[in-house]
Amino acid sequence: MSARRTAAVAKRIVEQFRHDRRTLGLIVVAPLLVLTLVWALWGSPSDTVLDVAVGNEAFARIAAPRLEGAGHRVGGVATYEEVVARVRDGRAHAGVWGGSLPIRIVVEGSDPIRTSGAISALERALLQDTSRPSAVGGVVVEHVYGRPDLSLLDFLAPVLIAFFGFFFMFLLATVSFLRERQSGTLERLLASPLRRGELVLGYLLGFGVFALIQSAVILGYTIFVIQVRYRGSLATIFLVEAVLVLGAVALGLAISSFARNELQAVQFIPIVILPQAFLSGLLVPVEDMHEVLRAIASVLPLTYANEALRAVMIKGYALTDPLVLRDVGVMALFAAAAIAAAVLSIRREVA
Amino acid sequence: MVHRFPIVQFAVDAHDVRKRFGTVVALAGLTVRVAPGEIYGLLGPNGSGKTTFIRALAGLVRPDAGTVRVYDRDPLDAVAAGRTGYMTQAPALYGELTAEENLRFFAALHGVAAAERRVEEVLATVDLLDRRRSIVATLSGGMRTRLSLAAALLHEPALLLLDEPTVGVDPVLRREFWEHFRALASRGAAIVVSSHVMDEAARCDRLGLIRGGVLLAEGTEADLRARAGAPDIESAFLALAAARQ
Repeated sequence: MSARRTAAVAKRIVEQFRHDRRTLGLIVVAPLLVLTLVWALWGSPSDTVLDVAVGNEAFARIAAPRLEGAGHRVGGVATYEEVVARVRDGRAHAGVWGGSLPIRIVVEGSDPIRTSGAISALERALLQDTSRPSAVGGVVVEHVYGRPDLSLLDFLAPVLIAFFGFFFMFLLATVSFLRERQSGTLERLLASPLRRGELVLGYLLGFGVFALIQSAVILGYTIFVIQVRYRGSLATIFLVEAVLVLGAVALGLAISSFARNELQAVQFIPIVILPQAFLSGLLVPVEDMHEVLRAIASVLPLTYANEALRAVMIKGYALTDPLVLRDVGVMALFAAAAIAAAVLSIRREVA
Repeated sequence: MVHRFPIVQFAVDAHDVRKRFGTVVALAGLTVRVAPGEIYGLLGPNGSGKTTFIRALAGLVRPDAGTVRVYDRDPLDAVAAGRTGYMTQAPALYGELTAEENLRFFAALHGVAAAERRVEEVLATVDLLDRRRSIVATLSGGMRTRLSLAAALLHEPALLLLDEPTVGVDPVLRREFWEHFRALASRGAAIVVSSHVMDEAARCDRLGLIRGGVLLAEGTEADLRARAGAPDIESAFLALAAARQ
């Protein structure tokens, strides 16, 4: 191992980025754009406004002020059939029937996401005043972690930070190394004293610089601009992110040997990135998945990054927590395996 | 300068080298020896095995059979020791970097001493000093070829492998290239140069006419012409190829 040759490779990558201002800009601008979009969509806790059909009259006298207090619009109806009819016709998003017990919540039901959103919005509105037991019930909700106003954005931000870092660095490393293979420069490097390990390490260092800049910018934007609430230490969040993106760069180098051109490289995104998007707990909690899917999730680095970042950012775990340590350890193992695969993939070139 | 290079009988000693890629036979028992200080020309049509042979000398192709030695070492060891300089057929450079950034990078890989001065020297050699700060992607094809040669010369290799080095180079510069190759050889470096341009043949000390992965004939240009009774090397090549069949 020669530090001089490794540093030469890293320096060259930094110089290439410096000359390619647009890529440099996109690394930062693209994730911020998507984060802003997510913030706009899910930034505030459930501000769904519903048109609610409420019956019967006696129940409406109790329920209507609560629903209106939560910002919903209430229309009073006399019979249960009328509640159902209004929802069916689309004149109301949902209905509540309190003419008999148990109280019935009527929803349109064709869109599961809107359905559960409407149900929880109605429940929240009807249960809103938990200080005073009422006709609806004396339920008090307590949060072990998070808080009542935890928005979907607060929940998604940790995994989005991980996802963007992984996605962009994987993509850039794949295409950069593919170019190295295609342009003949890899051949030239292999016919020089540079060793394969030095080449891969140089790439990790060179890309690492930009990966960390990107992570810092994304994290800073998330916390200081769109003001995602977080607990835990920023240094721990940053460390988890760093270990993850180094693995992404190494994986990109290895995967690039399976692509013959840039078009093919782009098609590796769905293969490498989408399963992680679906299975790593970004959309569905890992523990709720079928055991086969859970087994797949357990070998995806993003699964561990998500778990660690949520533990740190939402629950306030420290780096020394066994769960966080385990997650970082698994990600480090993955990065080491990807580095080994990258080194071996270069050997394949030598026929 | 000669003492810089190890004293061995052959810079290249390749014996009965065979290589196939799937069903395609690239090398079918090629034997070539090149002495230090010699310019050896590999002449043959496209697909005759020239590039595969040069890549084997650079350690990039492992022969299926036969032996390849470079200064009495395994080609990969020779590469690791910085003995070999390889100029690929297409100019292999980083398009986003400037000419001198490219050269500084390759100089660093080879641990070239006084790199700045050396980079300037080779830029002057290929007449690109005035374009040193140009981004490579903006250079003309001929300029890139020259820069690619410069990158192969940086570390003063004892074996210089040139795969069709003068494609797209104008006649004036082509002559300068050859003067430079001759100067390198006179300092003891061995040069293996491939070409399908027969008029470059006269500039080599010795020629190997190669087709189908084997040597058709070997000798000086005059030798080969005389042997075939042909007026020029192109006719000689055709006559020798016909005689073989």
